[in-house]
Amino acid sequence: MPHLADCRIMSNQEIAPEHYRLTLHAPQIAAESAAGQFCMIEVRPGYAPFLRRPMSFERIFNDGFSILYRVQGEGTRLMAMMSSGQVLNIQGPLGKPFPLNPTYQRHILVAGGIGIAPFPALGDAIVRTLGKTPEIVIAARTERLLLCEKDFRQMGCRVHFVTDDGSAGEKGLASDGLLRLNPGPDCVVYACGPMPMLKAVHAVCAARGAVCYASLEAEMACGDGVCLGCVVESNVEVEYERMVRVCKDGPIFDTRIIRWDAY
Amino acid sequence: MSISLRVNLGGLEMKNPVTVASGTFAYGEEYDQYFDISQLGAVTVKSLSLRPRAGNPPPRLVETPAGMLNAIGLQNVGIEAYLKDKLPFLRKKGCTIIGNIYGHSPEEYAQLAQRLEAEGGADAIEANLSCPNVHDARTARGCSLVAQNPELVRQYTVAIKTATRLPVFVKLSPNVVDIVESAVAAQEGGADAVSLINTLLGMGINPETRRPILSNIVGGLSGPAIRPVAVKMVWDVAKHLKIPILGMGGICTASDAMQFILAGARAVAVGSYVFREPTAPMKIVQGLDDYCRRHGVADINQLVGAMAV
Ligand SMILES: Cc1cc2nc3c(=O)[nH]c(=O)nc-3n(C[C@H](O)[C@H](O)[C@H](O)COP(=O)(O)OP(=O)(O)OC[C@H]3O[C@@H](n4cnc5c(N)ncnc54)[C@H](O)[C@@H]3O)c2cc1C
Ligand SMILES: Cc1cc2nc3c(=O)[nH]c(=O)nc-3n(C[C@H](O)[C@H](O)[C@H](O)COP(=O)(O)O)c2cc1C
Ligand code: FES
Repeated sequence: MPHLADCRIMSNQEIAPEHYRLTLHAPQIAAESAAGQFCMIEVRPGYAPFLRRPMSFERIFNDGFSILYRVQGEGTRLMAMMSSGQVLNIQGPLGKPFPLNPTYQRHILVAGGIGIAPFPALGDAIVRTLGKTPEIVIAARTERLLLCEKDFRQMGCRVHFVTDDGSAGEKGLASDGLLRLNPGPDCVVYACGPMPMLKAVHAVCAARGAVCYASLEAEMACGDGVCLGCVVESNVEVEYERMVRVCKDGPIFDTRIIRWDAY
Repeated sequence: MSISLRVNLGGLEMKNPVTVASGTFAYGEEYDQYFDISQLGAVTVKSLSLRPRAGNPPPRLVETPAGMLNAIGLQNVGIEAYLKDKLPFLRKKGCTIIGNIYGHSPEEYAQLAQRLEAEGGADAIEANLSCPNVHDARTARGCSLVAQNPELVRQYTVAIKTATRLPVFVKLSPNVVDIVESAVAAQEGGADAVSLINTLLGMGINPETRRPILSNIVGGLSGPAIRPVAVKMVWDVAKHLKIPILGMGGICTASDAMQFILAGARAVAVGSYVFREPTAPMKIVQGLDDYCRRHGVADINQLVGAMAV
């Protein structure tokens, strides 16, 4: 069940240009949260911005959680100026977690840009609850924006870098990096990043017979299934069940149910 | 001092004047996680149509200064699924229910009202004659909403009133030259109250892509940005109507709600702001009680239309 809680900022640090890690003291929310879920952050009192901002859990601790965010517009710009000791009102946990399934041999995570955000928590969960070590493709525009390498090395993961400009790792797209890992039916792939990337990752997985779960994004108002503003189109035949809510039915979806030709 | 917040909205007894705006509270279940929704004067459900509707393709919403634009397109489960899957929860909670309906003709509205009454699906009907999001913006021009045509408002109201004994509220659009004309038409048609306002038409364009932000191009503007417009419309209508008004548009706090009541609203609905602050409706109930205490008013009805001029 989601909570509404005033949470103290423990730290808010720039980890790369325009990218921050914010840690919050939120024992009650943390106790009920799992990798893949998200929270809605009230950036500040008043009506600018009017809506809360959705942010995935990066890591979940006993006494709180961290988020990883990129400065995108006004809301995240205001967040970047906050310092420890300040208080944010948080609604969460929201959405469904990443499904964990022990039957797969290989667990491959594919992150594009800030899409890395939910993966440290997922990596922790795979190591802790399945006793497996995931592999990860970290893709970004350029070397300085490749995030969380240390976190995954500490988990013992194989880390593959891909950059748009070739400044580190392979030059290419996240889906090229995935292909290099030669996924097959013994794999489960978890992907997070921009829609075109997810579409390409889905195409690779479909061609190789791997199951793929993607964390999708949409603009949100309520974050809790009420406003019907955050929908994406699915392949469901029943006409009125075709629009699925990213916040409540997701944000994690089996990519086979999404109608990718719309993106 | 004991304060009475009870109001009678066109025959609907409410234990306090606070309800929620249709489409911003779904069918109540989600927000019951944050507060006991039976404490509200009433719960207004998302517009119900005869058949389920998928609504518009995404993207459907975007934030705007102090508000938001939406083009949901009345996605809803349909009246039968509402009666079967959603209503039992609201009844078990003991909620007073305002059943908001949407149809394509007077007959459909009449059928929806009849069905809700027959199945105990609502304690009052709110007819949404003013949704801006169910027309193709590429071709629509001029008066495409029923609420924009006073003669149609009258006809639709008569049809619904003939079909049910439940109190009937007619929900009006601010996208008109003179909302008083629509309100008078609803009153002539036999409406027991009018609800105002629905969203204001608006749109946004992404200059980089040169494409509209919403897939439907046009959407409805809501939130505190529209509040002054809504308060003025309530005040205008109140001067000319005998039937009561359910006021809404950008209400976030008890002091916002008091503006509507002082302008002439008998009851108020909290809309988009619940997305930001799920407990807002409950806080407003408490805030109205505090207001009455501070001002030494024993009965909130004494404040309806009591703006000092
Ligand atoms: C479930 C979910 C989890 C997310 N997790 C993270 C995360 O962990 N880290 C992170 O950096 N970002 C995350 N996002 C995206 C983040 O919510 C947006 O970047 C943020 O809301 C932008 O706010 P802003 O005020 O800075 O920008 P705005 O000024 O509001 O918008 C700037 C631009 O960002 C786009 N945008 C606004 N809101 C969203 C949104 N909700 N999703 C996608 N695009 C949006 C707008 O269309 C606009 O083009 C997540 C989104 C969702 C739906
Ligand atoms: C996301 C959303 C969905 C809505 N859906 C409906 C609806 O189904 N039926 C209806 O009569 N009004 C609908 N409305 C309009 C609201 O009920 C209300 O009239 C309007 O939003 C103004 O109030 P507000 O500014 O407090 O939100 C919707 C508004 C929003 C923001
Ligand atoms: S954000 Fe409101 S339904 Fe998803």
